[in-house]
Amino acid sequence: MIRRAPRGLAEHAPILFPALMLVVFFVIPFSLMIAVSVFRRVPGGFYEPDLVFANYERFLTAFFGGVMSFSLGLAALVAALSVGIAFPFTYRLVKLSRGAQIRWLVFLLSILSLSEVIIGFAWSTLLSRTAGITNLFVALGLMAEPQSLSPSFGALLAGLVYQAFPYTVLVLYPALARLDPYLEEAARTLGSSPLRAFFTVVVPALRNTIVATTIMVFVFALGSYLLPQLLGRPQHWTLSVLITDQAIYQSNMPFAAAMAVFLVLVSLALVGLALLAGRREETA
Amino acid sequence: MNETTGKQGLHAALTGGISRRAVMAGAGTLATVAAIGFPNIVRAQSKTLKVGVYGGYFKESFEKHIFPEFSKATGITVEAIAEPTGEAWLVQLEQAARARQAPADVSMMSQVAMLKGASAELWAPFDLSKIPNAAKVVPHLVNKYPDGKVSGIGAVSWYITLVTNTKSYPQAPDSWAALWDPANKDKLGLLALVSNSFLLEVTAATFFGGTKHLDSEQGQLDCFKKLAELKSNVKLWYRDEAQFEASLKSGEIPMGQYYHDVTGLAAADGQPVRSTFPKEGGILDSGSWAVTRASKAGDLAHVFVDYMCQPSIQALLSRKVGTAPTIDRKLTDLTDQEFAAVSSDIAPIIPRYDLYTSKSDWLNQKWTEMIVG
Amino acid sequence: MSALVLDGLTKRYGPVTAVHGASLRIPHGQFVCLLGPSGCGKTTLLRMIAGLEDPSGGRLVIDGRDITTAPAHTREFGMVFQSLALFPHLTAGENIAYPLRIRGAAKAEQRKRADELLELVRLPGVADRPVSKLSGGQRQRVAIARALALSPKLFLLDEPLSALDAKLREAMQIELKQLQQRLGITTIVVTHDQREAMTMADLVVVMSQGRIHQAAPPMEVYRQPADAFVADFIGMTNLLEGEVTAPGTAAVPGGTLHLPDLPPTGRVLLSVRPEDVIVHPVGTDGPNRLSGTLSFMRDLGASVEFRIDVAGREIVALTRPQDRPPVSPGGALSVEFPPAACVVLPPMAERPQ
Repeated sequence: MIRRAPRGLAEHAPILFPALMLVVFFVIPFSLMIAVSVFRRVPGGFYEPDLVFANYERFLTAFFGGVMSFSLGLAALVAALSVGIAFPFTYRLVKLSRGAQIRWLVFLLSILSLSEVIIGFAWSTLLSRTAGITNLFVALGLMAEPQSLSPSFGALLAGLVYQAFPYTVLVLYPALARLDPYLEEAARTLGSSPLRAFFTVVVPALRNTIVATTIMVFVFALGSYLLPQLLGRPQHWTLSVLITDQAIYQSNMPFAAAMAVFLVLVSLALVGLALLAGRREETA
Repeated sequence: MNETTGKQGLHAALTGGISRRAVMAGAGTLATVAAIGFPNIVRAQSKTLKVGVYGGYFKESFEKHIFPEFSKATGITVEAIAEPTGEAWLVQLEQAARARQAPADVSMMSQVAMLKGASAELWAPFDLSKIPNAAKVVPHLVNKYPDGKVSGIGAVSWYITLVTNTKSYPQAPDSWAALWDPANKDKLGLLALVSNSFLLEVTAATFFGGTKHLDSEQGQLDCFKKLAELKSNVKLWYRDEAQFEASLKSGEIPMGQYYHDVTGLAAADGQPVRSTFPKEGGILDSGSWAVTRASKAGDLAHVFVDYMCQPSIQALLSRKVGTAPTIDRKLTDLTDQEFAAVSSDIAPIIPRYDLYTSKSDWLNQKWTEMIVG
Repeated sequence: MSALVLDGLTKRYGPVTAVHGASLRIPHGQFVCLLGPSGCGKTTLLRMIAGLEDPSGGRLVIDGRDITTAPAHTREFGMVFQSLALFPHLTAGENIAYPLRIRGAAKAEQRKRADELLELVRLPGVADRPVSKLSGGQRQRVAIARALALSPKLFLLDEPLSALDAKLREAMQIELKQLQQRLGITTIVVTHDQREAMTMADLVVVMSQGRIHQAAPPMEVYRQPADAFVADFIGMTNLLEGEVTAPGTAAVPGGTLHLPDLPPTGRVLLSVRPEDVIVHPVGTDGPNRLSGTLSFMRDLGASVEFRIDVAGREIVALTRPQDRPPVSPGGALSVEFPPAACVVLPPMAERPQ
């Protein structure tokens, strides 16, 4: 059967509603944000419609460049670690019995339901000197005295990966569950050890899934603004934290909007580059 | 018992941080407010006054402890309006005033918002002759127009002080200089924003002879430079109060700045924490009552403000809401213990709100670069 | 000497035994079909040979070397999976060259070998095509080529043709057999299709319920089934239960038969293929005849099928059209069981169902 493109209003109707929702809940707010980003701030007050680029100029400094690079680097690292841990985990998960899989998925969903604040508090307690895990190490004789491990970059990374992990597993799960289990066995009969089969067949066969998941986790991590405050030091504050500061505490919506627009554009550009690189690799 | 209500949004409400822990004083009986005559004012029967209060903790407390008594005493019904966070309320009042509307007749405003409103002549001047009790309010809590007219009168005030964990610090520090002590490396928790920590003022008062030093840009840069020296002592720059409070109690972060009354309550609960008024003074932040020029209930607003400035009401606020009296303590019936729970006789450090209107973006940028960089 | 020896191979999953002590000797260059209904353990047996399942007991020896516990990737057997398991991210050529790449062969060598193998499976020129762009039959050939890329000692196929339509399957059966003969490679195919097994195999291994019932050349399995299950599973047969009453004489429902190979005494089971049953009109006389009534008859073109009621049991007979007796349904006739065509089986004890 030959598929033909839908014609006329009636055939387009099923996509009208989602399209409308997309416009109402994404296109319009984002356009408003772009508009506000070129508005003129009224010092000490609010903002007035205008077309000025002062907000962008203010942003284009070494300082914000540094914060931006850190935010992107952090998000990339979180994405790489989350996918790096979640992929083998999910690969094992889909081989378990149905009951065991459901128990794991429910457990992961329950982690997903935790708020960022609770995750931040839990990790800062776990990594604290007074009540943290180092006390256990001391009790086991592994350490001389308890240490505080938070706030620090490691604590922030751990918190973010912890938060992103269930999300990553749930995104990877359907693709891995659908993967032909015989691919790995075929690779083994052709001379690959199980580990090698995993890396030469399973991973490349799901390359698109992995890239898509990495991008999703990257964007997810980029938006994080509570955990950097709870688990990081000021040098670990992401651009999202500074945007929040400007929007909520400084009431500087134009500048906050300019930073947000810039962040969105840079992430879109990076995602585009990643996809482009992927496509080129595919055709090579 | 102490429940959390204050949240980040409220910080913004005062551009300087009225985010507060809710405090219901356990001790003390409800002082019955004596029916006091208001000779100078017509008793306004069945009239309604719209009062804007910060949403959340303050609105709840006022509706529970203050407004019913006020209505009983004056016959004026209060319609409490929850003020939104940020400077949105100021903007709403300004826009409404242009249309000769008043979403609230009298509003509790942060000091920065007071200044901004004054520059737009948003506030109807108070007639002090109609507010006899205003004379009792301490001078620095009365807001004035440049020409001397009164734009606002102190509503509530509270202290941010030097707090320590008593297990880690058996000896209480006596000066803000302790924040700079190299021995306190990685031990401090300080508020994360220039406009709610008031650390520039603390630095100026501690090392440069007073907040006047902040008059010049050079003075401000001096303070930033000095402040940068304590960065290595800071473990946590907090926006979330609960995080610092928990860390202070556990000793994870044994020193920092925090709300005096909340710390006192935690200590009364048996937590190993204490609040100290350093010899340079605690930071006194406050909110003021102001009347929008669009209000047609100016007379009622005067009755309300006068009522709020009474010593008995100020004492009630101290006992029930945990705020420091806006009037001389000697006029109140607060015991030494009750007074100490919310205030101190040591002269306070008064934040330089004027800076946060005139140089807000610059200070904010410098501050962020200082702590993030 | 035997290339591959299965010695009591057993596989248990908890309380379930999938394969009971399978023993088999497979000489070099043989084409073996593991044949049986689904769930009979044939795939499990193949997977144990491939090294994809660890045996619970028994030994596996190839050319005198015990490989019972050797990991799959060290065995160097080629295997074609039922799903084909072609690597979706690689082209046809890369799929075939995969085992060479794993061993670090040069790119040019990989390419050369892939082209050779595509030539071998008569699919030249598709090396650069992604596997998703190939038809079912082409994918089949690529999977076969990939399994043969390293010239394995053993070529294993798990229901390799089940995804193809009937016509293509038939053609592939013949082609696969020719390929195997050309390469002389020892081959084991799992199938549930007896026609497929009969077409291709040198040795048919009939399995049921985890056990090997018979391992023999196709015609022997057909002509000399080892037991009732094999007789019934392979083709169509008439099973007659009987009792030895005198030496060389067995009483069956409807009469007695005189057969040379009977045991001296006891119950016996006789298997007679329909095409061996001779149908006579009533009135004619001869040995080993039983009389019955025609209950159903149909003309199949090349032959005529008769269903005859003999003492309450249905006997099926096939005759050439020209040998057809003049009788219509309901009519009486007699059926002859030539002694040479009667296979004496052990009694029913082991028959499944």
